[in-house]
Amino acid sequence: MSRESKGQHRYHVLRYVVILAAVIILGRLFYVQLIDDRYDARAASNIMRSYIEYPMRGEVLDRRGEYLIRSRICYDVMVITRDIPKEGFDSVRLAAILNISMDKLRRELRRAGPNSYTPHLVVGYLSQEAKLIFDESEFKGFYTRFRTAREYPRQVGGNLLGYVSEVRPEDIEKWKYYSAGDYIGIGGVESAYETLLRGEKGVSYRVNDNRGAVKGAYKDGTLDVLPIKGTQLTSTIDARLQEFAEKLMTGKVGAIVAIEPATGEILVMVSSPTYNPDMMVGRQRNTNFLEMTRNQRQPQFTRALKEHYAPGSTFKLVQGLVGLEEGVLHPGDKHPCSRGFTYGVGRNSRTLKCHSHDSPLSLRRAVAESCNAYFCYVFKDIITNPKYGSIKEGMRKWTEYVHSFGFGDRLNCDLYGESKGFVPTTEFYDKGYDGRWNWGTVISCAIGQGEMACTPLQMANLAATIANRGYYYTPHIIKAIEGQDSIDRRFYERHYTMVSARHFETIIDGMWQSVNDDGTSRLAKLEGWDVCGKTGTAEHNRRDANGKRYPDHSTFLTFAPRNNPKIAISVYVEHGGFGSDVAVPIASLIEELYLTDTIKRTEMLNKVLNYEIDYGYYDAKQRKYDKENPKD
Amino acid sequence: MQPQYNMSAGLSSGRNSGSLFGRVDWVALGLYIILVLVGILCITSASYDAEVGSIFSFKHNYMKQIMWAGISSVIALVILLLERRYFHMFAYPAYIVGILLLVACLIFGVKVNGAKAWFEFGSVRIQPAEFVKIATALMMARVMSDYSFSMNRLKDLFKVAGVILLPLLIIVLQNDTGSGLVLCSFLFVCIREGITKYIYFPLIFTVLLFIASFIFTPEAIFTALIILFTIYNILKNGAIIGHIRFLAAIFLAVLLLCILTPLSGYASLMIVCSLAAVILGFVAIKLREMSLLWPIIMFVYAMLFVPTTDFMFSKLKSHQQDRILTYVGIKSDPKGIDYNVNQSLIAIGSGGMFGKGFMEGTQIKYDYVPEKHTDFIFCTVGEEWGFMGTLIVVLLYISLILRLMRMGERIKEPFGRVYCYSVAAILLFHVWVNIGMTIGLMPVMGIPLPLMSYGGSSLVASTILIMIAIRLDASTEDESVYLG
Repeated sequence: MSRESKGQHRYHVLRYVVILAAVIILGRLFYVQLIDDRYDARAASNIMRSYIEYPMRGEVLDRRGEYLIRSRICYDVMVITRDIPKEGFDSVRLAAILNISMDKLRRELRRAGPNSYTPHLVVGYLSQEAKLIFDESEFKGFYTRFRTAREYPRQVGGNLLGYVSEVRPEDIEKWKYYSAGDYIGIGGVESAYETLLRGEKGVSYRVNDNRGAVKGAYKDGTLDVLPIKGTQLTSTIDARLQEFAEKLMTGKVGAIVAIEPATGEILVMVSSPTYNPDMMVGRQRNTNFLEMTRNQRQPQFTRALKEHYAPGSTFKLVQGLVGLEEGVLHPGDKHPCSRGFTYGVGRNSRTLKCHSHDSPLSLRRAVAESCNAYFCYVFKDIITNPKYGSIKEGMRKWTEYVHSFGFGDRLNCDLYGESKGFVPTTEFYDKGYDGRWNWGTVISCAIGQGEMACTPLQMANLAATIANRGYYYTPHIIKAIEGQDSIDRRFYERHYTMVSARHFETIIDGMWQSVNDDGTSRLAKLEGWDVCGKTGTAEHNRRDANGKRYPDHSTFLTFAPRNNPKIAISVYVEHGGFGSDVAVPIASLIEELYLTDTIKRTEMLNKVLNYEIDYGYYDAKQRKYDKENPKD
Repeated sequence: MQPQYNMSAGLSSGRNSGSLFGRVDWVALGLYIILVLVGILCITSASYDAEVGSIFSFKHNYMKQIMWAGISSVIALVILLLERRYFHMFAYPAYIVGILLLVACLIFGVKVNGAKAWFEFGSVRIQPAEFVKIATALMMARVMSDYSFSMNRLKDLFKVAGVILLPLLIIVLQNDTGSGLVLCSFLFVCIREGITKYIYFPLIFTVLLFIASFIFTPEAIFTALIILFTIYNILKNGAIIGHIRFLAAIFLAVLLLCILTPLSGYASLMIVCSLAAVILGFVAIKLREMSLLWPIIMFVYAMLFVPTTDFMFSKLKSHQQDRILTYVGIKSDPKGIDYNVNQSLIAIGSGGMFGKGFMEGTQIKYDYVPEKHTDFIFCTVGEEWGFMGTLIVVLLYISLILRLMRMGERIKEPFGRVYCYSVAAILLFHVWVNIGMTIGLMPVMGIPLPLMSYGGSSLVASTILIMIAIRLDASTEDESVYLG
């Protein structure tokens, strides 16, 4: 080959090298751009971020249509420290707009970390007005997030309604719905109806640049899901009455439950002490919360649902009804009482004391005057009824009766956290006394003492059951749900007791006499209304350092009017002394307001409001706690 | 008489007469202009920021690039109007000045992205390495067009090697390895000028072996080489059965050694191969069979080279190791060192067939692509114009390169030819490495895509480079003769 053609040969070879390079590049591009389809998704996930859009939480109305819980728009202020300009910003002004201290602002910025892409919550509960000022100032790196906060026009029902709080990690683990930063209802109505109240979160997709700054909606927002507002609920609670009842219980420890007998709707439910629900909203929340957890009277404890109280003399109503149904008691039967009921023989002889009253009494008067001895005879007759062969079988039958009144188990109302209470059984005593026990051993059951325990809700339910002459509807606190024709079916079912309706009139006679005919409940008399009631004075085991018992609990069951009852109430005041002293006027005032819309007995009202109870028990507990857990 | 068309001399008839306009290669010039315009379009899309100012504000990168394009066109015109002999004359001084500038830069330059490769005059930064490419190309042409020059004479080989390696070393010292390696592309020119295969073949073999030693295990490389050389020998000498026997014998020996002795597979392979190489070597020398000897020499070279590379690699710092490993695809961590390439691939890959449209590329617009208007400008093409866009741009570049080679071929004297090939080689290297890195074929080296990437130095230097080639091509016979 000549020199010339050799050069030409190399030229052609090198041309192929160049073309080969082009083919390799184009082949790779062909693969990357047209064959490999991973990149589209990766490009989208690069630029797209999803943002949770929070819905307005559902509101709750009371039975008259006024707001118990309202939702108000507020904003969280978030920061992405990466986007804060290098030259800084007017932090003094920002702190002023957000109404926080410079310290707090600095602390939050430090927590967010320098140059972080992750949004960090600086402060919540920014009002709409403050948000407008904030938006005008355009602090780069800071932005707001829509939220709703709870508002309580009457500021009642703290521990009844519950509160809203950020989800805890265990909630997130338990339910798929939640993610960090979401809110969840805790306690009371908020938690019982959480799934309805929370609504549905929405999501919006936005385009972010490589620094995390939002650059607009992804695909013009066509993929976004709008949040759905939470469902509005109508409560059975009468806000005005609830407010009044809470006022009456101020300074007292105990519970009030009022039920509309014809429906099982809960009109009032007070667990005292309670707290102003507004304290659980806003920036002071954590401080308030901490303060509350230190309080040994436990403002957050819903006594009405959870506390176990001895029903005391109010339980005599059940005793009488069971005796009548069993046929061991007749309305005319009289039993003697010489300031008590003595049982046992010789050295083992004991007396269950009673106050002084006429003797012997018939059933109606025994109810009216709350004779202990009378009902000891009744209880003894029930469980030693020869019909059942043994006391154990008699006891078993008695337990069955008591259960039919809704005692000893949850009523299954719509709030969470109900306690079961306790009704002693044959098995219980067999275990406790190694099988060796007689009617004398268990006699305190006759008057609702001893092992008997029930919740204020169960006691109110008893009042409603008697008002209904033998049946009850499961108590509930929500009567209507927006967009639904009815509430849960179980609230429309009548639960009958094992006692037939005709026996109730006798007991109700006694309750009427107790109020209107020189009985223990005479303070509950309300002009123009046939009020029925039964007092109770319950013993307990709370003793001071010297072993001396603190004053008895004061309790009262009532319903009115006698025919077509509109309201049934149970009031329980810890350490209130005799039932007639404090529980009766409280219940009566509530009845007065509910039935007549006014309070005429202002003297009684003032007396109740100023009634001072010695809470030595709680004060000692508090002192001990404060000593063991000093504040910082 | 009809004018005779000389096929190799090319398309333009009457090249030796007429005005400069008639003699200029309009195809090359056109390709140049189109690529610059496409570049400006891409820079606009990649760096437009409404907050900077009005669309004609010189704060925008594209306006600056347009300004540089204007300066480039003036320079282009000046070059085209210069007499041909000046380039011949300029070669030595330009080269010397270039080397001095590089050295000065090493001392007085400023650091950008870790490379001390820039001079700074106020707001303008100039990278001398860009201009040294031109000087070196001219110098190559000057040296290789010397009438006494012979490609395979040792003295001349050293001369060429010196011309290439001197600036290369200084640029590498500046820590601007990418720009330095560009000068390796002159090997392309040497091949055209007939450099012996005993030089370029080992060079290419070494580079391939180097890359392979990172991707494959030594066992795999040696096995592949044995098979490859056996096939080569079969093609060369026939005797299929004998070669297959030979292969089988080697593998059987390795297998036996591996099973029967405590030696590892690698050691067994090395021992058997060494023995086979020695025996074959004796046979080859005795038979004076060079075609047998060459593969054996290369194989022994590989046996020495691969373990050495492994050893050297283990001495490197871990981030350097990482970079090399990532390039050869051994390590892959999306947020780590190949983050840039990943983002670049996502941008290009999501372009699909027709792309997302001008200024619509999300990865570009929202800053997910690093260096999007400079080194990674090709991502804009890929994302916004899709495969159609990348196809056209690659074809434009390849056409320009092939055109430059063709221009070199039709220039009758070596100075122009060598120069045109130099330009083609530099462009090829840049295009291959730059586009290669955006699509994960090459490691990230930090060299721009000529004519398209944002940057004055690069655009002006590329313009000068190409315009000189066009000017040389447009020379009349008279001028060439004048050169002697």
